This record gives sequence, C-alpha cells and structure tokens, in this order.
Amino acid sequence: MSFEVKRKKEVVTEPKIQFSWKEAKRQKSLLIWSGIILIYGIIFYYLPLGGWLMAFQNYRPIDGLFRSRFVGLEKFQQLFSDATFLRVIRNTLAMGVLNLVVTFIAAIVFAILLNEVRNAVGKKTVQTISYLPHFLSWIIVTGIIHDALSGTGIVNDLLMNLNIIDQPINFFAHKEYFWPIVAFANVWKETGWNAIIYLAAITSIDPSLYEAAAIDGAGRWAKIKHVTLPGIRPTIMILLLMNVGNVLNAGFEIQYLLGNGLVQSVSQTIDIYVLNWGISQGDFSLGTAAGIFKSVVSIVLIVIANQIAKRNGDERLF
Amino acid sequence: MGTKNKIKTAPADRALTVCNTIFMILFVLVTMYPILNTLALAFNDGTDALRGGIYLWPRKWTLKNFITVLQKNNLITGAYITVARTLVGTATALIANAILAFIVSRKRFLFKKQLSLFWVITMYVNGGMIPTFLLYKGLGLTNSFWVYVIPGMVSAFNMLVIRTYMNGLPDSLEESAQLDGAGYFTIFTKIISPLCKPVYATVALFVAVGQWNSWFDAMLYNRMNSGLTTLQYELMKLLSSVTNQGSSAESMKNAAGSVTPETIRAAASILTMLPIICIYPFLQRYFVTGLTLGGVKE
Amino acid sequence: MKAKRVTGMLLVSALSVSLFTGCGGGSGENEDGTKEFTAFFAVPGAEINDDNEIQQIIAEKTGVKVDETWLTGQTASEAVGTLIAGGEYPDFIDGGDAMGQLYEAGALVPLDDYLDDYSNIKAYYSDEEWNKLRQDDGHIYWIQQFQNIKGEEKATTQNDEAFWIQARVLEWAEYPEVNTLDEYFDLLESYIEANPTMEDGTDNIAYTILCEDWRYYCLENPPQFLDGYPNDGSVIVDPDELKIIDYNTTDTAKRYFQKLNEEYQKGYVDPESFTQTYDEYIAKLSTGRVLGMVDQWWNFAFNVHDSLKQQGLDKKGCTYVPLPITIDKGIKNQWHNSGGALNVGSGLAITTSCEDVEGALQFVDDLLGQDIHNLRFWGEEGVDYEVDENNLFYRTEEQRTQAADTAYKASHLCTYSYFPSYKGTSDDGVNANWPDEQPGEFFDSLNSSVQKCFEAYGVDTYVDMLGTNEAPGPWYPMYSFSNAMTTSTPGGVAWTKMGEIKHEYLPRVVMADDFESEWNTYMDSYDGCNPQAFLDEMQAELDRRMEEAAKFE
Repeated sequence: MSFEVKRKKEVVTEPKIQFSWKEAKRQKSLLIWSGIILIYGIIFYYLPLGGWLMAFQNYRPIDGLFRSRFVGLEKFQQLFSDATFLRVIRNTLAMGVLNLVVTFIAAIVFAILLNEVRNAVGKKTVQTISYLPHFLSWIIVTGIIHDALSGTGIVNDLLMNLNIIDQPINFFAHKEYFWPIVAFANVWKETGWNAIIYLAAITSIDPSLYEAAAIDGAGRWAKIKHVTLPGIRPTIMILLLMNVGNVLNAGFEIQYLLGNGLVQSVSQTIDIYVLNWGISQGDFSLGTAAGIFKSVVSIVLIVIANQIAKRNGDERLF
Repeated sequence: MGTKNKIKTAPADRALTVCNTIFMILFVLVTMYPILNTLALAFNDGTDALRGGIYLWPRKWTLKNFITVLQKNNLITGAYITVARTLVGTATALIANAILAFIVSRKRFLFKKQLSLFWVITMYVNGGMIPTFLLYKGLGLTNSFWVYVIPGMVSAFNMLVIRTYMNGLPDSLEESAQLDGAGYFTIFTKIISPLCKPVYATVALFVAVGQWNSWFDAMLYNRMNSGLTTLQYELMKLLSSVTNQGSSAESMKNAAGSVTPETIRAAASILTMLPIICIYPFLQRYFVTGLTLGGVKE
Repeated sequence: MKAKRVTGMLLVSALSVSLFTGCGGGSGENEDGTKEFTAFFAVPGAEINDDNEIQQIIAEKTGVKVDETWLTGQTASEAVGTLIAGGEYPDFIDGGDAMGQLYEAGALVPLDDYLDDYSNIKAYYSDEEWNKLRQDDGHIYWIQQFQNIKGEEKATTQNDEAFWIQARVLEWAEYPEVNTLDEYFDLLESYIEANPTMEDGTDNIAYTILCEDWRYYCLENPPQFLDGYPNDGSVIVDPDELKIIDYNTTDTAKRYFQKLNEEYQKGYVDPESFTQTYDEYIAKLSTGRVLGMVDQWWNFAFNVHDSLKQQGLDKKGCTYVPLPITIDKGIKNQWHNSGGALNVGSGLAITTSCEDVEGALQFVDDLLGQDIHNLRFWGEEGVDYEVDENNLFYRTEEQRTQAADTAYKASHLCTYSYFPSYKGTSDDGVNANWPDEQPGEFFDSLNSSVQKCFEAYGVDTYVDMLGTNEAPGPWYPMYSFSNAMTTSTPGGVAWTKMGEIKHEYLPRVVMADDFESEWNTYMDSYDGCNPQAFLDEMQAELDRRMEEAAKFE
C-alpha cells in the first residue's frame, strides 16, 4: 500500500563503519563526551562486578572480599544439584515468559486504543487513571487480589451467580491457577504505566502519513494496522528485546505475597529461593552465584534475540 | 471525494468507537477499583477496618490515618530532600542520557556498536548489594546527598529509549545542518532535542517517579544521617512498624501491642500518589499528537 | 524563558541541598550537654518523634538520648551484613536473627568486665543466667532484654500458645471440662450444629488454621503441647532422660493430624485455612464467627479483641479463652510455664563504634531503675496513669484508649522497648512493671462473658484456665538455638528443608481424602531431608547447655 510507513532504509543498507583518524577528528566532540560517560559507566556498573568474586568464596562479612575462603565452583554446584533450585528456575522462567507476553500485548493494545479515543478530556482522564495502580505497592494490590479470589470474594460470587460453578473455588489452593493469577496481577498494575512509552512513540508518527492513508481510503482499523503499528514498531522491538533479558527477574514480591504452602512448588522464584537459602542464612555467596547465573542467562538471551532482530531488519539493541 | 469515503468506512469506524468506549469504561472501572479501595481504607477507622468488608466506601469515617502519617517524625525533611533529589536527579539524568543517546544514534559514530553493547550489558549485571556499598563508600558517596543523584544518572534503559526515538528521526536533518556548518553540539541542542520532547518527557517522567519513590538508597547509604532521609523512607518506616509483616514470633511477642492498622498504610499510599497525579498533567501536553517535523522534505 | 526558570530551580535546590548535607543525627553531645547515642534494632518497630515528650524527660534525668532506628524492607541478615561490610555501626545494636554475624565480625564490645560497675545491670541476671549468655570465647557480648521477671510474677494473660475457644461456646455447653483434643472438637461440633449462624445470619466457622509463612506454627507445633511438653519450639526435650524427641513424627502428631483430617472431611475445618493471609485471618476472627483455633495470644488478641469490643460482640461471648488440652486424659499440660524464657540468641549489645562505652552502660543501668522504668512503661504520672491512696497505679478509660493510639505513642510515649526491661512486680511491691499485667487493669478490662466463664471454672485469670507450671529446666528454650541455625551446618540445612516440606505437606495431609497414604508420602519426603542431622545438632546443644548449668549446682 502506498501509505505504509517505510522503515528506515538505514537498517538494511547500513554502511560499514571504517575507522580512520580523519573521521575520528571529525567526531572529536562525540568521542570525548562518550569517553567521559564510558568512564562513568566503568566505575559505576563494571567495577562492582568485582563483587562476583563472592560467588566463588565462602564469603563472610568479617573476612571481607579479599580474605574469604576461596571455594571455586562449590556454590554453583550446590545450586544446581538442588532439585528445588532447578524447579524454581522453571517457575521463574514460566512466569517470566507469561508475564512478558501478556503485559506486552496489553500495553500495546491499550496504547493504541487510547490513542483512538476522540474525546480529549476522556483521553486525558483515562490515561491519568490508567497509571495510578503503578504507584500502589504490591502489598496493597496482592491484598486486593487475594481478597477478590477468596471463597467469599467477588470472583466466586460472580461465578456462582452465573451458575458456572456451584461450590466456591479456592483459587490459591490449586497450582494451575497461580501463574495466570500472577500474570493478571502484572497486567492490572502495570498496563497503564507500560503504555506511556508507546503513547509517546505514537505521537511521533508523522501525521501526514495518516492523511495520506485517509486519502487512499483507509478506515481507522486500516490506519492502525498500516500506520500506527509500523510506526511504533522500533519502540516495541527495543522494549521486547530489553524485556527478554529480564525474563528471569519475574519477581519476588508478588510470588512471596501470594504464595502459600500448597502452591509452593510453582510459586517460588529464584529470588525467593535466594532469600530462603542465601540471604537469610547469611550466605551472601549463594545469592551472588544465583545472580551471576541470572546475568549469564539474560545476556545469552538478548544476544540471541538481538541477532534475530538484526536478521529481520528491526531495531536492535546493539 | 470525502463523502464517498465517509459512507464506505463509517460503520466500521463507528463500531470501533463504540467498542473502544465500552472497553475504556470497563478498563477505568477495573483500574480504579484498587485506588478507590485504598482511598476508602485510608478514610476508615483502623480497628473497624480489621474485620474486612471495606470495598468502595469507608464504613467508619475518620481523618486520623492521614493525621498520623502527616505527623510522622522527619516528614518535612524527607519531603525537602525528595523534592530536591527529584529535581536535580531528573535534570542530570535526562541530560546525561540524552547526550549519550545522541552520540550513539549518530549514523557514522565510530564505536556505535561497541558502546551500545557496553551499555546493554549493564542492564543485566549487578555486583550485589555489598560490593556496590563498598564502592560508594570508597567514592565518598555514602552519607551524602549525591548518592541519590550520581549513581543512577546514566541508565541504559532510559538511554536506549531516547536512542530509539532519535533513530526514528530522518538523517537528512543532521546532514543538512552539517552542510550549513553546524557542529555536533548545535545539532544536538538546536535541531534534535527540540524534536525529542515526547521522549524527553517520557524519560523525565520515569526518572522523576523513580526518584520520588526511592527509599532503599536512603536506608542503605544514609541510614545514620536523618537530615538526608527521603519522604518514601519515612513512610516506609511508618509502614514497617506494621508488625504483621514482621519477621518473627519473638519480635511480635515482645512488642505486645496492637499492630498499626493497614489503614495507615493506605493513607501513606494515597499521600505518595498525590504529587504525581498533580504533576503529570503538565507533562502530558508533550505527548500531544500532531508533532510536526518542521521544514524538512523527505 | 522556560529554560532559565528550570535552571533557576535547579540552582536553588542544589544550594538548599548543600545546607542539608552534614545535618542530622549521630552520636555525640548536644549543646545542652545531653549525650546522644544511636541504636539500630534488626526487627520491625515504630520510630518515635524527635520531640517525644517522655524521651525528653528521661533525657533530663539521665543526661542521655538515644536515636533508635528499626529494620525496614530488608531481612536482619541483609541489614547486618551491610553494616559489617561498611565497618561502621551505631552505638547500640540488636542484630535479631543475625546477632551471631555481628559477634563473628568482631563488632561487639565484651561487657563482662564492666558488669560489676553497674549494679542494676549486674542484678538483672543471676550468675547462671549471665553464664548462658557467654559466647565461645568466654565473654558476654549482649544482654537479652525480655522475659525477665522481677519479684512476683504477675501473669494474667496467656501470652503464649493455646487452643482457644469462644466464651459463648463454653457458656452454651454450661462450662464443661474440656481436656482432650476429642472433647474439644466434639464441643465445637455440637455447638455449630445447634448454632450454625451468628445473629445476623453469617455462618459460624468451627475451626480455622493460620498457615502463612512463619505463622504456620498454628498448624505444625501443637503435637509438642498435646503430649504435655512445654514450648521448646522446634523439638521436645524429655526432662528425665534429657533426650531430644522429634515431635513431628510422634504417634501424637499422627493422631493430631488425623483428627484434623477427620474434622476437615466432615466440614468443620475452614477450607480457606491453607491459603488465607494473616490479614484475612484477623479479619475472620474479628467478625466473631470463628469458634476456635490454635494460636499465640500476641498474634491475634490485641487487634481482634479491640475489634470485637468495638462491635459489641465481646459482650455476646465472642472473646477467646484458652483450654488446657492434651491428647489424652491425665496428661499434665505445660501450655504455660512460669519464669521467663531466656532467649540467649540475641540481645542488646554495644558496638566497637561506640566512643563512650561507660556512658552507654550507665544509661542502660539508669533505664532499669524503677522510676525511669515506670516512665518507660506506665508513662507520666497524672497524664498516662493515676495513683490511688494505696499507691496502686491505674488508668482511666481515656488513658487506656490514648495509650493505644499510634500518633500518641510516637509523640509522647517512649518505652526504649529493646533496652532491657522487667516484667513482674515493681520495687514498691504493689504494682506490676507493665500496665497490662496490673491485676486491676486486667480485671477492669474483662468483659462480662469472660468474667462469667472464669467464675464458672473457679479461676481468676486466663493463665489459671490452663494451670501454670515450673520453668522446664536450664536448657529451656531450645528454640533460641534452632532460630540461630544456618545452612552452614548439616543440621541447619536439614532444618531449612524440613520447614519447606512441612509447609508443603501438612496442608495436604489435613485435606487428603486418603489420610494414610498422604501421611506416608509426607513421611517419606520428611525422611528425605535427613532430619536426624538436625536432631543430632540439637542434642549436642542440649548436652552443652546441661553441662554449663551443672557448673552452678
């Protein structure tokens, strides 16, 4: 279609960057400034990684970083030989992927639909209301969810009144409901906030493209499909890439607050495991080892995802 | 021309409007519920709220919860510091991230790929709480206001958001400016930045909210200095005396008294939300559709 | 222009910020000569205001003010770990669960040489008790602050665990003798059959269980009490043979869970027991619908009884009283023991960062003096309590309400709660050290239904309902050791694993259709944790404690 947003050709025909002193001189200010910020980055982000040494030690605060006993891969062995740890990896991954998919779709759909609201006052009101749950703490939100799903809560009331069930379901007693409940909690709390970025991206789409589309006979659905979506594609891709790396950070608070003994085997995440077996026992080494594991997996995931994005000609992380 | 198209597309469009309106109304109701519930609890008497059953409206009205929160020790100092760190932190972070994003989005920048990789990795690696603490201590950042501003200043996430946006701007802008003899500084300040208002507003919002809600760093690095406390930290202290989140039987047994009601938690949450709700409308106008790219022909 | 305004704002903030750096608390001397110390307690707690009135009064009398901070949003281990890594500590510290880490880090000042200089502190514990507080290197580093009873014990409420039942159930059944588990549930069953709903139509719930997180003792530890043993927390100690017994695998344990299973199948146990949160549990109890449960007083009584009172349900008999339950008739129960439980695992310590150890200890000494002690717990005379012609302290209704108010507590009351304190009787021989143990206060606040109940059973207090027992023995309580265990020992690993297994299986065992097979599955998993390692470690500790005690015979 003639009005389709053309993705920047740059991505496909990117010139190979050749280093030359002449070019470097041209870019002097860029190099200086990025160099300064690079030093900042090294100090604040890479220097603390020296702390990863703790994962290979039996770290005790009194010995400090340099005098704690070196134990090699013992902590890692301890983690990976524990069936519970392997199970929590599964849980974290499952919840992470589910959350990613669901919150992504929800945020994008909401942003697009909100953009379609014609009434300016309505639009502003809805948007303001939409991000408010982001500011409530998880303690409050999980309290509400727990209450709503309890035996006497509104969900069971509704289902009984509609005669879908005749006995109230204790949702938190059944393992199969836990992951969807967590995903829903994330959607409920974060959709409005997550949509902010997409809304900002939507505003950057050249309005003349919409006009061109209208001239070509496109209705609103078509406009969404052929102008809006492609227009925010780079934003979507970048956020998707970044969040793929976060899939093992599926959380701590929600699962901690909503979990119980009956669903323990599906609700515990890596962070909760680290709390129970690492931090609470004064074993910082174990926590660091788990952290390294998460970092490694994250980086592997984004490298793979980045390659896929590169092949597709999409916006990439690097 | 116009009429023909209008007739053709009207039904589908109207269906969209109707569906959308219904959806938005449902969405608002579902989203408002936790807020209204919290509001109802905040205005409800603590003991009365214990037996549950408060949904959208207080059962036993009182202002006591808000008064208790507002009388919290050190709240004013915390508010001062929080406002200061929000302003200073947001400004510095925005500038730093914007500069880095600008550099990395320049088409012919020599170390584009390497630098991007460098920063992307920072999002997924973390030295841990203790090594970070030792670093800040070594740099003299602990027991100081600057620990709130300097460490988080450049953040890969925010930088990438800006970079993505800048990548979406046409190259011709930079090229034609360079033909006119402009240096990179001018291009950044006079050409690219004015067009980046939506993304700048977005990142400013993210950073500002992050700064506003921060308390963990206050606790970790400035614990001994009550002159550097933040609003959220004071509220957190109030909330964590709610011993139903308490950690052990011993501490509760020896506290031997009633638990601070969850209504106080609700009141504290409402107070935290208020400033953001007030500020956001001012930022919203940057998200207005209809941004023109001024004077450039593709 | 906009940019100028923004820049202006930034400059102003930056300037005002520079005024703030350097301000703030810390130890040292104030202008008026009062010393200021800092204190950190690795437990949740409420901060008092800077201008707290009683803190001011105490400061005037002792010349010292302490700035207390509490645990927020972290575990004790994390907070203490960070302090140790940073090498800087507050003057006073109580590390809670992480106390041992502080000791190992060399952060604490040994106190034994100072003890003789401070009479109140020295008198706080007997030599034998001080000895229990010694660490491996032979020195004493911290002072356990609680459960220290001076003079006559004034226990009125059962501040511990029990099988609770609503007074109205006992009244309806005409105050029967309820001594066994079976009798307890029979009573609940017959009451609920006859009275299935409350007055307003909502259903009564016969029995509920709280299983959330660390509060699941409501489900898992009754077996130790049902066999007539006291609250050693994690194990049973046979006092004659001085052997550790695992209460999770005793016959009584199996009978107890089987009974719960039966009741659950019959529909008398709340089906939400295993998923409810603490808030929901308290809400349920506060509606007055729950007839009975196992719990510890401090976990529910304050909130729930306040709420019941507010709704007028206390007069209708919804208040809870304890019952002396054991598994079979004839077993003497030890739900309540006299004497405190000395938890040697943690206490108030002075750190190496403190520049004035003697001043700090003098302050602790002063806090134990009767006048200051009264200021801490009773408050200001004439404002928080009154004194009658017999020198008996009492509170008006107004004063009682005020004392419970959060804002008032922050602005006026200053208990220095984590500094050593006494329960029991005041030096004047008449009053209790803590207001809620004052007999007059206690009796005045009893509602009519509980009073009737006590009359019918011929008792005066909650404790009398259960009977009281002597202190179990010098090893007591074993939970002070199991709480401090970490995964660095095989016993600690076993203990952590056992906890996880119990959390997962105990609810299933109660809910199971086939109790036998589920119990066996549970026992298999339980054995898989190597519980013997845990029991062995506990036995070693028990032996060690008995050895230490023998030195004082």
